[in-house]
Amino acid sequence: MRTKFVVIIMLQVLLLTGIIAYREYWVRTGEKIVLKTVPVDPRDIFRGDYVHLNYEITNLDLDKLKAKDTFKMNDKAYVSLIKSSDGTWRASSVSKTIPSGQCFIQGRAREQLADSLWEVTLRDKSGVIHKLSPRMFSIDLKGEELVFCREKDNAAPSFFVQRPSQRRSCDSGTAIAGIVEDIRETKYRRLNVEYGIESYFVEEGKGKAIEMMRNDQGLNVEVSLKKDGKGIITGLIIDGKKAVY
Amino acid sequence: MPLKEHITFYSRLKKELELWLQEGVITSEQRDKIILRYATVREADEKAGPGKLVTTISVLGSILVGVGFILFIASNWSEIPRWGKLFIIFSSMLVSYVVGFYMRYEKGNYPKVGAALVLLGSIIFGAGILLIAQIYHITVHYPNGPLMWGLGLLPLAYMLGLRSLLFLALMDFLIWLGMESWLRIPGYEKTIAFITLYLMAGVALWTTGLMHSGFRSLKKMAAPYLWTGVPVSFFCAYILTFDVFKAGLGAEELGPFYAGIMVLFAAALIIYLQSSGKEKHWMSETASLFAMMLFVLLLALFFHGGYGSAGPDKTFNIMTFTSNIIFAFAVIGILVLGYMRRLNAYINIGLLFFVLDVIARYFDYFWKLLPRSLFFIIGGGLLLSGGLFLERKRRKILSSFADREVEE
Repeated sequence: MRTKFVVIIMLQVLLLTGIIAYREYWVRTGEKIVLKTVPVDPRDIFRGDYVHLNYEITNLDLDKLKAKDTFKMNDKAYVSLIKSSDGTWRASSVSKTIPSGQCFIQGRAREQLADSLWEVTLRDKSGVIHKLSPRMFSIDLKGEELVFCREKDNAAPSFFVQRPSQRRSCDSGTAIAGIVEDIRETKYRRLNVEYGIESYFVEEGKGKAIEMMRNDQGLNVEVSLKKDGKGIITGLIIDGKKAVY
Repeated sequence: MPLKEHITFYSRLKKELELWLQEGVITSEQRDKIILRYATVREADEKAGPGKLVTTISVLGSILVGVGFILFIASNWSEIPRWGKLFIIFSSMLVSYVVGFYMRYEKGNYPKVGAALVLLGSIIFGAGILLIAQIYHITVHYPNGPLMWGLGLLPLAYMLGLRSLLFLALMDFLIWLGMESWLRIPGYEKTIAFITLYLMAGVALWTTGLMHSGFRSLKKMAAPYLWTGVPVSFFCAYILTFDVFKAGLGAEELGPFYAGIMVLFAAALIIYLQSSGKEKHWMSETASLFAMMLFVLLLALFFHGGYGSAGPDKTFNIMTFTSNIIFAFAVIGILVLGYMRRLNAYINIGLLFFVLDVIARYFDYFWKLLPRSLFFIIGGGLLLSGGLFLERKRRKILSSFADREVEE
């Protein structure tokens, strides 16, 4: 019985060390890339001891990338990457098949949907023109008096219609009030992709500080890529310095 | 012989005596005479305190220490270097296992605390899997964590014959099933497909428990399957008594799970039917489980939502009605079976779901009909008197078991 017990316990130890060895090999031998994070909106209510990370490559404009494939939920998505001048990597194309001769990251499609990019031209009382990009808008709001609330973290601004009977102000952020002069809607196919590098586990209570950096767009993430394009986080880069590993 | 060994011998003797009595080797008078011979030992056993309490306290202690370990590492995440975290996990896991094994099997002086320490080792093993995932920020395919945990525990549970480990492993598998299927189920409107999936899993676990009870060597390990399978089955069947038949009950994406569960169910059923130690009234129990499994599988595969011929405007619809009838039969069935087999667990589960069903139907049918105040007064009154009645009935049934055991 003692021998059997020892064998089973050793198998458990082997399983744990196996997971560690596999991940460690991946971290050490993979190709290192740096990805830009973007603010998360809406903010994650259930965040605990981890930071939720969204990247520039989380939401892809399929039309801009000239993608031919249509993606269903859980389809594999191979995103080819090219290095920008600031050292971070951005998407150059996306397909369901492995691209050859390029650096790429593998993810899974969460959803593909028809979306719109909005550009609103607002003239305030002193005649100054503001260009704003809300997440959602309506073409019917042309000529209306609106108030936009611009947050510090550069998230898409929220807005409300200003009625003479009920004057309101922004709960937070800077208020920009004015008349909508022009609305430009650009329709596109948006693909939301999950890469498995969306969570960064930190000590209890420290997540908030990193989330602030993420929302101020001062946070990049170093990722190690395996040959099949799967990524693993190897560090956070804050103001050009690798801060945490 | 030291007193401790006397007590162990006495408790084993008591079990053996019951068996001999059932097999007609001895008469009840002879049994009483033998028990009388060990009166001093019995007194000592009674004074030493109930063994179940020791087990409960030790198991709770293990769980608390396990949670403490996880919290310690979580709240000192950045202070402890990576190798430090791994060292804590590996060393605490090995120490718990070795000390537990030594206490229970080598020295044998504290078998219950020893078993609890082995359980603690198993909890730390699981915590290790989850903490390694956190160290490497793994989010992709997280369900693999509970699956590996469960698979790692299964051989240990059977080798040591520890039901607590088996129970933990089965809970891991149920969690894995939920997490894995959540990744595959498309959209919230298919959420109800979880219920049918878990109902199938519950029935399969229940049948696996019966299969274990059919063999003398495996009989001891039947309980964890029944502890998980029976409540899960009843809970899911209870959900289906509500008005949930608007959406489809299955999802194409869950096909591999249905197939896996069916293989487990069929294998367990066939082996049970071949076994020699079938329980009393086994035929009605297995036939009901088979019918239930078939019915749920057909619903998952072919029912695509919508109401019956009564139309969506009517509150009455054929599917909800049928599921309520089946559920009522299941509750009566398990109560009768519990009474016939003298199984307290079956009776308690039957009574619990009987009460829940009465409450749910009361809300379904009388909420709109009565003024609110009257609704609560009548409802509260009914529940109180119902509670009194059930408590008396339950006590009567359970004490009748004890009386009969003494009479025999």
